[in-house]
Formats: sequence, structure tokens, C-alpha cells
Amino acid sequence: MNVLPFLIIVPLMGAFSMPLSSLLGEKARSAWAVLVSALTLAVASKVFYDVWSTKQLLVYTLGDTTPLGKGVGFPIRILWEVDLFGALLALIVAFVAFMAIIYSLEYMKHDTGLEKYYTLITVLELGMLGIVITGDLFNFYVFLEIMSIASYALVAFRNDTWEGIEAGIKYMFVGSLASSFILLGIALLYGQYGTLTMSYLAVKIGQNPTFVGKAALGFFIGGLLFKSGAVPVHMWLADAHPAAPSSISAMLSGLVIKVGGIYALTRIAFSIYGTSINIKTVGWIIILFGCATLIVGNAMAVIQTDMKRLFAFSSVGQIGYILLGIGIGLAAYGTKVGDIALAGAVYHIVNHALMKALLFLVAGAVLHQIGTKNLNELSGLAKRMPFTSFAFLIGAAAIIGLPPLNGFASKWLIYESSALFNPFLAAVAVIGTAFCTAAYIRVLFTFFGRPSEVVDNAEEPGKAMMLPMLVLIVAIILMGLFPWQINDKIMLPTVDMLKDQLHYVAAVIGGA
Amino acid sequence: MFGYWDALYFIYVLVIGMLIAHMLSRWAEKVSMGTRRSGDGTKIFISGEDEEKVIPQFEHFRGYVTGRHTMWGLIRGIHRMFLIFRREHNGLLTDYVAYLLITTAVVLGALVIWG
Repeated sequence: MNVLPFLIIVPLMGAFSMPLSSLLGEKARSAWAVLVSALTLAVASKVFYDVWSTKQLLVYTLGDTTPLGKGVGFPIRILWEVDLFGALLALIVAFVAFMAIIYSLEYMKHDTGLEKYYTLITVLELGMLGIVITGDLFNFYVFLEIMSIASYALVAFRNDTWEGIEAGIKYMFVGSLASSFILLGIALLYGQYGTLTMSYLAVKIGQNPTFVGKAALGFFIGGLLFKSGAVPVHMWLADAHPAAPSSISAMLSGLVIKVGGIYALTRIAFSIYGTSINIKTVGWIIILFGCATLIVGNAMAVIQTDMKRLFAFSSVGQIGYILLGIGIGLAAYGTKVGDIALAGAVYHIVNHALMKALLFLVAGAVLHQIGTKNLNELSGLAKRMPFTSFAFLIGAAAIIGLPPLNGFASKWLIYESSALFNPFLAAVAVIGTAFCTAAYIRVLFTFFGRPSEVVDNAEEPGKAMMLPMLVLIVAIILMGLFPWQINDKIMLPTVDMLKDQLHYVAAVIGGA
Repeated sequence: MFGYWDALYFIYVLVIGMLIAHMLSRWAEKVSMGTRRSGDGTKIFISGEDEEKVIPQFEHFRGYVTGRHTMWGLIRGIHRMFLIFRREHNGLLTDYVAYLLITTAVVLGALVIWG
């Protein structure tokens, strides 16, 4: 049975029935939110397992059994098409969203309007899942907007402070402009080639590469670099991510920038354009933005005094590593170095989702228990909140890339491939990590320093907040213990499927 | 897959490190004041605090620039970089839009020329 449609049906139904469940009381609403996200995780796991075990793409056509039109040999219907890269991201989206919803049960307890909150968080998850499974360019745009609009609303959810509203408005204004660039790219491709199906577009662009096709790619890259928070279009991120509630920050930094930016960029570059454009140029464009991103993001993290803002800038820095990996994957397409860089990038997407989710949940726990996220006031927190501090220690060590945690494996692959591709890039990556280390060591010194008056009466948060942190710690440690097995069994097959444009096209045109 | 401790990687890192150190040293000589390059027998000073103190075990490092110039050059350089980064992160919506337009224009230009 093809469970793919349930990846959308479950969160969609769950989101729209959330206000109804609220009528039955607070507990029923919370239980419904947890149940919906748990079911979504189960479906995502099944989709991942199906794709991983068979190494075949899953294709689902809306409203018919075949995407091809009657009597014609080309696809005319909206279709969903999932390879291992999409399935892996669907799994990580569902997992982190599940953790964020459990965390919210306690973290958001004192807020009002929670039926809207749980509806929006489920819609956010739905938008991301839609992006990673769709095989239709306009359908992709619809899901991108679903995800983006839910993000704008969630950033400004706590509207009792200026911070959230200002960040939300800025994010919405510039985000809409970036989305309009993406829409313009889609319109150009549709006007030129007359189709929106990604795999069929790949065929048409391959047969007849045009200037319009190149211009469309330029608009896609511009818009999607913004969505992924690359320098110099990263500034919205440093405003928006700290302003959102911490459970949402975990999803924004851990998932949204990767699914809405990096995944989409990779999918369009590999599956639509593939070899029909000078892929080396595209690769070098992404590499240059990646280098600027990892230096500026990590350097700006060093000078922050707001803990969540520091984590947000750190996300910018880590996006730089992922962009570097993808850029090298494109520029060295078809070589072993390119494969390793791409595997490192995909691996780092997964690892960073876990690490950054954990770090933002830690920041949320501190904010919830003490009421401040100013690092100058949080000295000596470790004595009062040992578990939270330990969680931070694991998250920070992993993000710096300390073995034997998961961040080491993915960063190592990126360093190694960049050193072999171009030693200068490896030097830039190492300098970025030096800044990253400096930023996190500062927080560590704060946590383990002499206790200040502010933290005197602090206590650990409740179980609903500690459990997701514990699960993420275990995931980070486990993934760190088997890095090369995960790389060989999951990441390299993911890269092979991502690069295999013929397979991606044949799954649809072949009438699957 | 490459080996866990790929020797080649370390050679690359070493070469890059030495290149950076050399470039830094040349640059520090240029930007700092009063750098002395003298012949045999010149003593090495640590940050200029104790001019008579030879670094133990490093007596063979003679005739090179003193550490303080590199140190201050590096500190000034990094400080200036942070000042520039800070100045650019001003939170202005108009700047966000401008950067987005510039980025898209640059990408479009690069693709049109070399795509």
C-alpha cells in the first residue's frame, strides 16, 4: 500500500480539526496534537523505510493512477515523487516536529490562543512535508507558501512584545519578495516549456536549454538562498528565530531553512537542471555564498549576548557548511570528491536539525525557568539546572564537531572533500569552526561560571520539556557512535538517488 | 570512502597553515611599526615586555619579526572585521530588501555569463 498521501492527509486533517478538539478541553487538544504528530512520524518512518529498502522512488498521482494524460505521452497531473533524500527529510521533519509538540505541552502552558498555536505548528509541519514529497513545481510553491505563512504567524505568535511583531513583519515582507522571485522562476519555466512536472521539465530543459531557463534558475537560487538564510540575505533569520517561542525556533532553525531553502535548491539543481546547464558555475556560485555564510554566521555568533540570537547566527554558519558541501557536490559532479561532499551536506542537514533543535529547547528551558536569555545574567546556571546544562554541553560539542558526536562525522566529510577539491575552501571551513568554537565556549563558561543572583532560585523544567531534550541527546550520541555505518547505509545511497536524474525522470515518464 | 585519518588531509592543512602564517607575517611586517629585521644574534622578544628575554628552546628563531606585530596586526584585523559585520547588521528592512535584490542580480549575472 502506498502510504505517501497520508503524509499530507494526517497533518492536514489534524490541523483543521485542532480547533474542534479544543472544544473538548485543554487536555483533549494537547492529546490530539501529540497523536497527530505521532501518526505523522509513523507514516514518515514507513515512507522512509519503503524507499530505503527498495531504493525505488515512490510516486503518487492525485486523482488518477498514472500522471500521464489520456492519449498523450507526457504527465499532466499533480504528482508526488519521493526519493531517499525527500524521504529522509520527511522523517527528520516529522521527528523534530513531534519533539517540539511534546515540548510545547509544558513550555506553552501559560500562553493563550493555543488552538491557533497547535494548528499553525501542524500546518508548518504539513508545508514542509509537502515540499519534500512533491514532484510538481507549482505544488512545491503552494507548500512553500503554506510553510512560510505558518512561519510568519508563529514568529509573531507572542504578540505582547515588540520583538516578535517586528521580526514577523520583516520576515513576512522580505520572505514574500523572495517567494515572488521563486514564483517568477516557475512562471518563466512554464511559459517556456509548458509543463510544471519537475521530471518532465528536466527532459524538456535537457532537449532545449534556453536563456529563459537560465534566468529562471537565477530567480530560484536568489529566492531559495534567502529562504535558507545564506549571507548576505540572512539578516531576517537573526531577527525571526530568536523572537519565536523556543519550540518554534527549534523547528525554524532545525527544519524550515533546510526544507524551504537547501532541499529545494538541491532538488531544482540536481533533478530539474541536472546536466543541462553549466553545473560547475552553479556549484561555484553556491560555494562562494556558502563560504561567506559560514564565516559571517559563525563570527556574528561570537559577539551576541542574547543566547537565542547566538544560536540563530550559529544556524546561519552551519547553513554555510551545508551550502559548501552542496556547491562542491555540484562543481565536482560525477567525481568521488563531489559524492563525499554531497553526502556530508545531507548528513549535516540531518545532524544540524537534531543539534539545533536541542540547543533551542535548552534556550527555551532557560527562558521558561529564569525569564532571561541574556548571557550576561546567566552565570553559574549549571549548578541549578544540571540536566539542561548537560544538554547544552552535548549540543554545543556536537555542533562544534567534537568526536564522537554526530556533528564530527558530517563536518569531517565536508572538510575532507573541500580539502581535496580546493584547499582554500578547507581553510575557510576551519576558520568558520574556530569562530563557532569561540561562540559556544563563551556560553559554556557562562553556564559553568560562578552562580549569579538571577539563577539562585532556578530549577529544572518539568518532564514534558526534559523528555524531548533527553531523546535528542540520545539521538545525537547514537548517531555519533555509528557515523560511518550511517554514511554508507543511508547518506551515500541518498546521494546516488539524488544524482540519478534518469531514474527520477523514468519513474514518471515510464508511467509508474 | 577515505580513511578515518587521511594523511593527505593533514598535509593539506599543514601547507595551508604555513601559507597563512607566512602571509600573515608578511602582512604584519608591512602594517606594523618599527619591525626590525636584523642578522645573526638578534634576540626574539615576547610582546616586547622583556626585551632581554630569549624564548627558551627557541633560540634558533633569530632574525625574524617579533611576535607582537603579528599579534597586534591580527587583533586589529579581526576587530575591524567584527566592526564591519556589526555595522552591516542594522536591522533595517530596506537593507534586507536591497541585499535580496543584489544577491539575485549577482546570481543572474553569473549564470548569464558563465551558465
